Amino acid sequence: MNQAGKALAEFVAESTEIVDVLGKELLVLDQQRGQEPDPDLLNGIFRSAHSLKGLAALFGQEGIATLAHHAEDLLDRLRLGKLSLDDGVLDMLIESLDVFQGMLAQAAREEFSPSMAMRLKELVARLDGVGSAEAAGEEDPLDRLDLEPQVRAVFTEYEEHRLRENVRRGVALWRIRAPFDLSDFDTGLTELNVRLKPLGEVVSTLPSSEPGGATGIAFDLIFGAKVSAEELEAKLQGTPAQIFALKVRPATGAAEPMGSVAPPPAKKGGAREEEASRTRASTADGQESGSRMEQALEDSRAEGGSMSDSSVVSSPHTLSEPPVRTLMLSEDGPPRGPRTEESLRSLTQTVRVDIGRLDALMNTVGELLLIKANLQRMAEAARQQQEVATAASRQYGQELARETRQLERKLDALQQGLLEARMVPVGQVFDKLARLVRRIAREEGKEIDFIISGGEVELDKLIVEELSDPLMHIIRNAIDHGVESPETRLANGKSRRARVSLRAEQKGNHVFIEVSDDGAGIDELLVREMALKRGLITEVQAREMNRRELLNLIFLPGFSTARKVSTLSGRGVGLDVVKNNIGNLSGIIDVWSERGQGTSFHLTLPVTLAIIRALLVGVSGRTYAVPLNSVLEILSVTPGDIRTVERREVLDVRGEHTLPLVRMARLFGHPERNSGRHFVVVAGLAQERLGIVVDELQGQQDIVVNSLGGRLQGVRGISGATDLGNRRTVLVLDVGALLEEAGSLDRRRA
Amino acid sequence: MPSAPGLLSLLTVPALSVLLDTFFYRPDEDIGFLEELVAGTDATSSPLPEESPEEYLAFRLEGEFYAVPIHGVREIVKVPPLTEVPRAAPNLLGVVYLRGEVLPVYDIKVKLRLTDKASLVAGPDAPEPPRSARIIVVQTADGLAGIWVDSVSEVVRLRPSMLELDVPGVVGGERDCVVGLGRRNKQLFILLDIWQALA
Repeated sequence: MNQAGKALAEFVAESTEIVDVLGKELLVLDQQRGQEPDPDLLNGIFRSAHSLKGLAALFGQEGIATLAHHAEDLLDRLRLGKLSLDDGVLDMLIESLDVFQGMLAQAAREEFSPSMAMRLKELVARLDGVGSAEAAGEEDPLDRLDLEPQVRAVFTEYEEHRLRENVRRGVALWRIRAPFDLSDFDTGLTELNVRLKPLGEVVSTLPSSEPGGATGIAFDLIFGAKVSAEELEAKLQGTPAQIFALKVRPATGAAEPMGSVAPPPAKKGGAREEEASRTRASTADGQESGSRMEQALEDSRAEGGSMSDSSVVSSPHTLSEPPVRTLMLSEDGPPRGPRTEESLRSLTQTVRVDIGRLDALMNTVGELLLIKANLQRMAEAARQQQEVATAASRQYGQELARETRQLERKLDALQQGLLEARMVPVGQVFDKLARLVRRIAREEGKEIDFIISGGEVELDKLIVEELSDPLMHIIRNAIDHGVESPETRLANGKSRRARVSLRAEQKGNHVFIEVSDDGAGIDELLVREMALKRGLITEVQAREMNRRELLNLIFLPGFSTARKVSTLSGRGVGLDVVKNNIGNLSGIIDVWSERGQGTSFHLTLPVTLAIIRALLVGVSGRTYAVPLNSVLEILSVTPGDIRTVERREVLDVRGEHTLPLVRMARLFGHPERNSGRHFVVVAGLAQERLGIVVDELQGQQDIVVNSLGGRLQGVRGISGATDLGNRRTVLVLDVGALLEEAGSLDRRRA
Repeated sequence: MPSAPGLLSLLTVPALSVLLDTFFYRPDEDIGFLEELVAGTDATSSPLPEESPEEYLAFRLEGEFYAVPIHGVREIVKVPPLTEVPRAAPNLLGVVYLRGEVLPVYDIKVKLRLTDKASLVAGPDAPEPPRSARIIVVQTADGLAGIWVDSVSEVVRLRPSMLELDVPGVVGGERDCVVGLGRRNKQLFILLDIWQALA
């Protein structure tokens, strides 16, 4: 990669991270719809937009920078309370996120399409148009607060807004004075903040004018408490903090003379900035004599309480339910915005690594495993020669064996560590899907509760990436066709709001993902009719199929092109593609549905693709590897067990069911060998089963699969190659493709 | 004269910077005349293109000598045991693991009409490869590819005057991979477009 390409990749990676964080935060905001937005959260979102703007400007990505700039403006107005957060604004912010992603995707390809430019322009215009004017004639509640003008003057606009908000809502305000020693005031202050956080809001932190001794420094924290004075005091036990109440005068019609005393609030502390003891950029220092503050007046809280009723701001959207709610069932709480402390140190201990590098490391581990296998063979050979060997060489052999075992353990640990390094939480995809659900539901006029759980389950990065499209397809189908309109649902005696849930769960070496809805379900009889009409199955086949098999017809390639899918309670839009994608990940997809009650799709995926356990089979003197995760069982058969049905070879398995067979030698055009006994590897993906006839079984082994690469992509039935040591290259079977092939063969003959 | 250097620098520094300034390239200045100058020297300095010979890798296929520009060749390896790929294109002899990558190995004899059918060199029924056989690894647009040759003979330096790029009856025709002939003394090399041969 050249320098410019590297820079671009760096930009895309970093921006994607920011956009992801932004998405998460907006999602939390979305969940809190109808409530007063958490100021910390809003602040976090504002900062994310701000970072994105800076980054995009740095890399000359004007489109992204422009949108970030306008979004930041809007967010700034939101956090300063100049604009209230309603559904329209939230939708617009979420739409911005989509546009960010679109532009990022294009930026990665070094393009910027005119349609994207149009979309950007239009969105920017709307962002700017929102709530441009706000009536501000009322009395400033801040004037009612007994706070010296000097102190007020050093508040930032944001701090002032938060303070005003607290006064308006009648929150008890406190000045908390905490002296610390200069040597460790930062840890002390951090600890104090941690203690205060659950009790209310730290509006501002100001260095106090009263130094705490020769080597000390004191801070005044303006604090809006949610708890009583006693509790606050109790919680601050053991810290050097003292608390003083800030008096709030009752709101009166006549304006207080305060206005004439207090100078108009300025953003910065002016002359006071000279003082060197500033702790952070947003904090200005105060010079006031604290004496007047020390009027601890208990009644101020009582007054505040009585005031609050008249001035509580009720947001309009609490009256009607939002069209979509996203509910998280994960155990850890909703992600919070970045902390308020700003520091040049990065917030996380993570490094970003190109997945290609991990792949290269994984290949190296694969080669090490081969060397280890060779060492083991040597040790084994030495052991077997013990009768003829001298004592010295015997001891040598034993030592070799011991060291090899050590090596094996360390290699296992290395391999495990590498696999873990590739793991990312599946929630990365879930968050994106939650936004999609919002959009589709709005377009379709459906009301949906989208329930997410298990987002913390981890999967290989490559699998997570490949998963988003299939999941998007399934969820889109669920909303488009599965979920009924609110009116229909009410008429059918269901709740007005539909539930669509997305759940992940780890089961051993596999991850199970379920997408379910409580919509109309799939009518299997209509599916059957459609499949017959399209010639996908014959009458005879249709008669033999059970409900589950009928439902699974929706995954057939021809089925999806059906015109009137929506009359068929809906599925079928590209589900064959979904199935293919899942199959490419060595996964299995299954569907279950009950008419009128809903549909659920079950996906089973391996945790990683990098190293798989494989069954080695011999066919006409050649060796092939079959991924063990698709092998259900292995049968030993004699030629007499194999029957023919309609010129197709099948096997009767324990009198329970008939298994279609494919002879690998014949399929691959190898010379067939007439051995008395065969082995049948029963492979299964989803509902399909196939018996693969091979000559011999050679054992199991962990293998690193390499794709066949560009020139060989078109080879059917082979997914890759692996090296077994001894310079032996072995091909890995693509079980999904073989099943597909056998299936289409089946249908052609039928 | 302790003050002399100071005086000198006082006098010369502005003058020097102005002087230097004329040497520095400014993005907005017109350099058309420079380009013309350079173009002129280029044309006069290389009046005899034959003087720059190119290196070719010469190898044998069915007794004939072929050559390809050596800059296209990544490496030459001895023939390892190849694994046949069922149902692949007929010119694919097999695959082999080469340092963590799967290398497909191709036959080009059929394409050159030297044989009717690619020889069986992979799988359990294949005979041991001849000792002299080699695989030439080249980089193609979609990954590495190996080409089976019967033997590698030498690296030859051919000057443009030693090439015949327009030989009626030998060169030409669509999709033909023979691009010309190279002649060194009495030795004749058939020049191949290796990528065309793999197509």
